[in-house]
Amino acid sequence: MRSEILRTDGVVKSFGGVKALKGVSIRVKEGSITMMIGPNGSGKTTLINVISGLYKPDDGKVFFNDKEITGLPPHEIYKLGLVRTFQIPQPFMKLTVLENLLVAYPDNPGEKFFGALRRGKWRKVEEKVVEKAFKILKLLKLDHLWDQQSYKLSGGQMKLLEVGRALMSDARLIMMDEPAAGVNPVLAHEIFRRFRELKDKLGVTFFLVEHRLEIALRYTDYVYAMANGVVVAEGVPETVMVNPQVIEAYLGG
Amino acid sequence: MIPLALTFIIDLLALLGIFIIISLSLNIEFGYAGIPNFGKLLAVAGGAFFIGAVPGRVLAYIYGLLKKYDYIDNNVEVMYALGKILGTNPFMSMAMLVVSLILAAAVGAILGFIASYPAIRLREDYLAITLLAMAEILRTIGYNYKDLIGGTVGISVPDPFRWIGGELRLALAASVIMAVAIIIFIYVELLSRSPIGRTLRAMRDNEVVAEAYGKDIVKLRMKTLMIGSAIGAIGGALYAFLSGSVTALGYDRVVYTFWPWVMVVIGGAANNFGVLLGATLFVTLRKLIIFYKSNLQPFLPFDVVWLEYLLLGTALLIVLIYRPEGIIPEKPTHTLGKKRLEKIKELVEAKEV
Repeated sequence: MRSEILRTDGVVKSFGGVKALKGVSIRVKEGSITMMIGPNGSGKTTLINVISGLYKPDDGKVFFNDKEITGLPPHEIYKLGLVRTFQIPQPFMKLTVLENLLVAYPDNPGEKFFGALRRGKWRKVEEKVVEKAFKILKLLKLDHLWDQQSYKLSGGQMKLLEVGRALMSDARLIMMDEPAAGVNPVLAHEIFRRFRELKDKLGVTFFLVEHRLEIALRYTDYVYAMANGVVVAEGVPETVMVNPQVIEAYLGG
Repeated sequence: MIPLALTFIIDLLALLGIFIIISLSLNIEFGYAGIPNFGKLLAVAGGAFFIGAVPGRVLAYIYGLLKKYDYIDNNVEVMYALGKILGTNPFMSMAMLVVSLILAAAVGAILGFIASYPAIRLREDYLAITLLAMAEILRTIGYNYKDLIGGTVGISVPDPFRWIGGELRLALAASVIMAVAIIIFIYVELLSRSPIGRTLRAMRDNEVVAEAYGKDIVKLRMKTLMIGSAIGAIGGALYAFLSGSVTALGYDRVVYTFWPWVMVVIGGAANNFGVLLGATLFVTLRKLIIFYKSNLQPFLPFDVVWLEYLLLGTALLIVLIYRPEGIIPEKPTHTLGKKRLEKIKELVEAKEV
């Protein structure tokens, strides 16, 4: 059995009087595609924000690769190999599509105030990064837009850019907040197929929050269902989808 | 004998160089990194005050003048003696200039480090107010603490350009200032065409996302303010050497904070050529108004000094209404050059189908 790459133990987070997470414990196995489902307001995005370091939990712990990362700043968590995307696309608006991807590459040697002057030192890395970025853009069919400033993109294209940016880092775990929302079904399937491919090829683990179950489920290994800040069900997709609590959370309540 | 028109141009170039340096430093901070530095004066005055306080004292100490005179109270005598020494010693003069500029930059960096404390914790408008206040504090200290730069009276500065003699002094000063301005322009331009320039712009566009993608915002802001302030301090130091004296009241927020802002906004933030244009337009217009002051006065129902404020204010409004991104707006800067990028793109496209 493969080991867990991500584990949360009883994570609690409130905003004022609202308890968004009431003790959430999940486990994500390395090399899996694990999905979190749940109705709006069930706390999925809050959980991602806590794991990625944007929020500090009130209680509970987060482990990544058996190392506790509770409360670490986001940039440190990123450098450990855990990357996340945002539900509402947030590209760097004035940067070009290509630049948006290039920025996401960690530890570029040209990213220093004096190191920047020694072009010879960072040029090689930069060329490699650019090549990688173009490969990703090609995959996402954004390559023709590479030199466009990203505020000119459509909503769907921004979504793809968000995905592309996450693929730039050599992350071990990619958390995606609704990667397929607002993307046409054909492309959505392609994105998920690509996730599986990446998982098989590079051993990257995916932790996804997704609403479009009809598309996402068939690519998923394991599912957690959340409602009102707690995990109500977990298991392989087939069993979770017939779980009465899940059905009630989605249709009733 | 240098003709008047040439003197005008040399004078203009000297001042222009200084404002190019200061507005470029603001461009790094505001244009690229998005830090609203309304305390640009802090660094500029820091550099100038350093020149007022330190190089003269060190030289006076080296030449044994401090045994006879008090540096502040007998400043005139000290400067007279130093002027004689430096006036015949080009090497010492230039060595003092270079060392002083380097140390002024270091002082600027320290001030930038101090300024970065609120910059890390505060957002936009609060940060702008805090930086503005910090600059005022430094000025007030300079004005009231007599031992630093002579308080209300001000202090003279040893002249590194005197040795060349007479009318050529201004020409030498202008050349040195322009040379420094060019070096700084090249540095800032290289910065903007490198991965760090891209990262700063990303931070400016979206701080939360930049942090989520591994950028240490705290460190980046700190370093940006340190570099920006070091450059700003070089500008202030050069101005102190050019004018030959430092008076705390001479360093006010209008000239050294708001004008550079106008230059950056008019020219185009995050575009160094735009900033160059903004500074040139601004400084030239001002100089012309001052130069033709007496010719203009009969036609104006108010004092001519207000004309520059009116004209520059109008220019700023026009630019903000019709070209809110400045005369030369921000452009994508390709680290490897567009051709090389296109070539890499083609190679990638050709590989797998």
